Amino acid sequence: MITARALRKRVPVAGGELEILKGIDLEIKSGETVAIIGASGSGKSTLLGLLAGLDLASDGSIEIGDVALGRLDEDGRALLRAREIGFVFQSFQLLPALTALENVMLPLELRGDGEAAERAGRYLERVGLGERAGHYPRQLSGGEQQRVAIARAFAAEPRILFADEPTGNLDTATGERIVELLFALNREEGTTLVLVTHDEGLAARCERRLRMTAGELEEA
Amino acid sequence: MTPSVIPGGSALRLLARDWRGGELGVLLAALVIAVAVVTGISAFTARLQGALAQESHRFLAADLVVEASQPLPAAWLERAAERGLDAARVLTFTSMVSAGDEAMALGAVKAVSGAYPLRGELTASSEPFGAATGRAGGPEPGTLWLDSRLFALLGIEPGASVEVGEARFTVTAAVRTEPDRGASFLGLGPRVLLHVDDIPATGVVQPGSRVRYRQLFAGDPAAVAAFRDWLDGELAPGQRLLSVEEGQPGVASALDRAERFLLLAGSLGVLLAAVAIALAARRFCARHADYVAIMKSLGATSGYVGRLYGGSFALLGLAATAAGCLAGLLLQGLAFDLLSARLPFDPGPAGWRPWFVGGITALVCLGCFAWPPLWRLAGASPLRVLRRDLPLDSGRGLLDYGLGLAAVSGLMAWYSRDLALTGAVLAGLALTVAAGGGAAALLLRGGRLAGMRAGSIWRLALASLQRRGAGNALQVVMFAIAIMLLLLLTLVRSSLIDSWRAQLPPEAPDHFILNIAPEEVAAVEQRLRADGIAAEGLYPMIRGRVMAVNGEPLPTDGDGDGPRQREANFTWSATPPPGNELLAGSWWDVDSDAAVVSLEEEFAERLGAGTGDRLELRIGARALTVTVTSLRAVDWESMRPNFFMIFPPRLLADYPATFMTSFHLGSDKAFLNRLLREFPTVSVIEMDMVLSQLRSIVGQVSAAIELVLAIILLAGALVLVAGVQASVDSRLQESALLRSLGARRGLVLGGLAIEFAALGLFAGILATLGAELSAWVLQTRVLDMAYRPTPWLWPLGLAGSALLIAALGVWGCRRVVNTPPLAVLREETG
Ligand SMILES: Nc1ncnc2c1ncn2[C@@H]1O[C@H](COP(=O)(O)OP(=O)(O)O)[C@@H](O)[C@H]1O
Ligand SMILES: [Mg+2]
Repeated sequence: MITARALRKRVPVAGGELEILKGIDLEIKSGETVAIIGASGSGKSTLLGLLAGLDLASDGSIEIGDVALGRLDEDGRALLRAREIGFVFQSFQLLPALTALENVMLPLELRGDGEAAERAGRYLERVGLGERAGHYPRQLSGGEQQRVAIARAFAAEPRILFADEPTGNLDTATGERIVELLFALNREEGTTLVLVTHDEGLAARCERRLRMTAGELEEA
Repeated sequence: MTPSVIPGGSALRLLARDWRGGELGVLLAALVIAVAVVTGISAFTARLQGALAQESHRFLAADLVVEASQPLPAAWLERAAERGLDAARVLTFTSMVSAGDEAMALGAVKAVSGAYPLRGELTASSEPFGAATGRAGGPEPGTLWLDSRLFALLGIEPGASVEVGEARFTVTAAVRTEPDRGASFLGLGPRVLLHVDDIPATGVVQPGSRVRYRQLFAGDPAAVAAFRDWLDGELAPGQRLLSVEEGQPGVASALDRAERFLLLAGSLGVLLAAVAIALAARRFCARHADYVAIMKSLGATSGYVGRLYGGSFALLGLAATAAGCLAGLLLQGLAFDLLSARLPFDPGPAGWRPWFVGGITALVCLGCFAWPPLWRLAGASPLRVLRRDLPLDSGRGLLDYGLGLAAVSGLMAWYSRDLALTGAVLAGLALTVAAGGGAAALLLRGGRLAGMRAGSIWRLALASLQRRGAGNALQVVMFAIAIMLLLLLTLVRSSLIDSWRAQLPPEAPDHFILNIAPEEVAAVEQRLRADGIAAEGLYPMIRGRVMAVNGEPLPTDGDGDGPRQREANFTWSATPPPGNELLAGSWWDVDSDAAVVSLEEEFAERLGAGTGDRLELRIGARALTVTVTSLRAVDWESMRPNFFMIFPPRLLADYPATFMTSFHLGSDKAFLNRLLREFPTVSVIEMDMVLSQLRSIVGQVSAAIELVLAIILLAGALVLVAGVQASVDSRLQESALLRSLGARRGLVLGGLAIEFAALGLFAGILATLGAELSAWVLQTRVLDMAYRPTPWLWPLGLAGSALLIAALGVWGCRRVVNTPPLAVLREETG
């Protein structure tokens, strides 16, 4: 499903260059749930960004299905994301000007779904926010906002879901509920899940755990 | 109906949502103001120009006048009638008027047909110097009207009969004002007005007599224009079309300046609005970069984002153009409403140009100021969803500013149709920006050092200023531009209005006495003093004629403006008279008797003579050859006596001269009768009506200028608000953080106030400098006015801008101290 070969990421910094990822090889099979754990600043988000095609690697290659990301331009990668990929972020990333329902509709409409509103409504029901469809993000608590984000991620029925510290901004109890929801939906939809976290408990729920240490990845 | 978030309906929805967020307000307001200012001002000037053209036609007594020294074809009058135009005939010549054997006087005869005047008003009174009333036409055949002063000269009363040539007339009125009498009163004899049908009976107009023939035409502007084109092709040598400037140089130049001022104001309005648009668009895009990143992470392509935002900006542009045009329409309507009470003429139609200009302005402003940040917005990296600190745009810079500058220069030049004016403003701007960038950076750095030793509020403020060094420098420059333009406009407006007032003080001379014989000088002065009338000095006056230049005889009748023999008033003076400016050559010694002359520049130009050239003159029966040693500029708008030719006193000592003077009389018209009874041979010229007309026009135009200034001030305020808003975003979070760390409200607000006041102060310094420089260039190069330094500008500019910016900044940041810090922090990070 996802294959990365000799992946490197270097960024220019004041005194020269900083190598954040130092040659990463990775294979993730369809339907797998994978956790990437590691200290803060070790390069987890950077890797996630590369796998999702949000950024380009300095070296190495990534294939999603049988598509080589390096061959696609920015718009090609966007279209790939629209078809295949969903996201859940630490800081929710809802559009503040859109209601909960409209936020969930957004990826559906980007795919050209004619029944975006109905489908988005169903997914909001599934995360238990059917009543709050017309509310704006600022009227929702952090946990509720993250549930909207999860509904948005699953509504487009992606084959791969990337989650970057989905519970990082939430208290433990709320975080627990979000994790339950995430895994429940993942089971029902059979999505490939790549989850970045420094929460060992959360990582333990995944079939596979990878540890990032200073830009290098190994099976944990 | 299910809502859609995809382009099409979504652009509208995006707009609606962002409107709720309050972010589009400034952008929309800036666009609306830009469009309103340009449409309003161009409609206003277009209509004012139309009205002034009409007004100026009053000085011709027609819309179109053709003049010649030979009879004009009667066929032209028929052609005019066919085209639906009104027409009139006028003949002028000099002739004796007699009332009995002893009483004779030389009169400037004007014979007019029944339709005269076609424009403007002819006034007359039943008694000499009596109350003047408007008349529908000139005298009936068989009757005539005389200049008030001729009654005393001829020793007659209204109702008497007088002879012109071989015809006898009944005097029925005193002619007081003619619309086309003109301001060049010197040398005109007293008026004798009669009907053109009586001319054959007088027998005075023979082949070879010196007569000027005129045909006057008036009617619908389009028909007049078409007729003018046709007539142009028909003109023979010696026949020419008259222009208004010849009649009323004072009014023409006042109006010309006013128009330039309005165009300047309009250009500055565009500039200010453009800056506001650029600021607002940048802020909009900075705030939307995160949203774009989210949309892209969800699979939106750059094209989609571009269409979405492009669509909503296009909608915004359309709405702003419509609203702006409407506002402009209301604005100029309001301006004319304010003026109409004092406006002696109907404002003309505005035409289509203002709306076109408004639309183009909106398009250019959006395209050149809003589009670049928008374009980068579409290219924003989706990686921002993971790394919010990612810089927004790396490739910005010179190209954007270059594009903006080109757009602004283009718009200003196109709008004002005046390159000098555009250049002056842009030069001031360039200086402000260049000096600004450097100085701001320097000052800010210096401020930091000073702040290290100061208390905590100051340290906070100065550290914050310093940290945003580059951004602050840019902001200072933006503020400086806005404040500079406002100061500049206020400066130019004040000096414009002041200079008009100075030219037309309430006690300006409104009457002239000519033809005072040398032996009468003392007695006339005494009479004036006895009646408590303060007269200007007495000037000697000699009439002469320029016959040849450098030995080349001049024709008696040149065509058009080519050199020809000219009658002129000569005077002598040991020193250059007040209000005369030496342009070339040098003045003579006080007691020189050299055969030299100083010429008024335009007179010299018409003669085709310059310094060093020889003129052959005829004064009475005597010939005199002189060399031109200097050229002078004369202030024709002043009501002082002015002369084309001035000689050294001793050169003309033994030529027969008369004297003239001017004085302010006010309403005591009876004095003129007393004066003329005592000195029947002097001539009195009344200028009070012309003056009051000039005053009223200047008053109207001043009011219009004030109104325009108010609009521009609004645009300037908008720039300041947009600028402050942009910086508020970055300060909100920091201030919230400070508060959550336990800083008191007073500390946070005080720090902000000092920070913004410092920005305002730097901006004020730059702005005042730039304004002085631009005002100097504008006044000396574009508006033809004297420049005066304005020390009062400095305290006003500096203190005003520091206070204003500080107040706006604190007001913009008030939220940070009025809401719990957590709410701000959460909102800003969530
Ligand atoms: N564009 C960049 N420029 C400079 N440094 C970067 C950039 N992207 C990431 N980094 C640095 O690389 C390291 C890894 O970042 P990240 O992948 O966000 O870590 P993690 O998500 O594991 O906490 C951090 O030290 C971060 O500051
Ligand atoms: Mg991270």
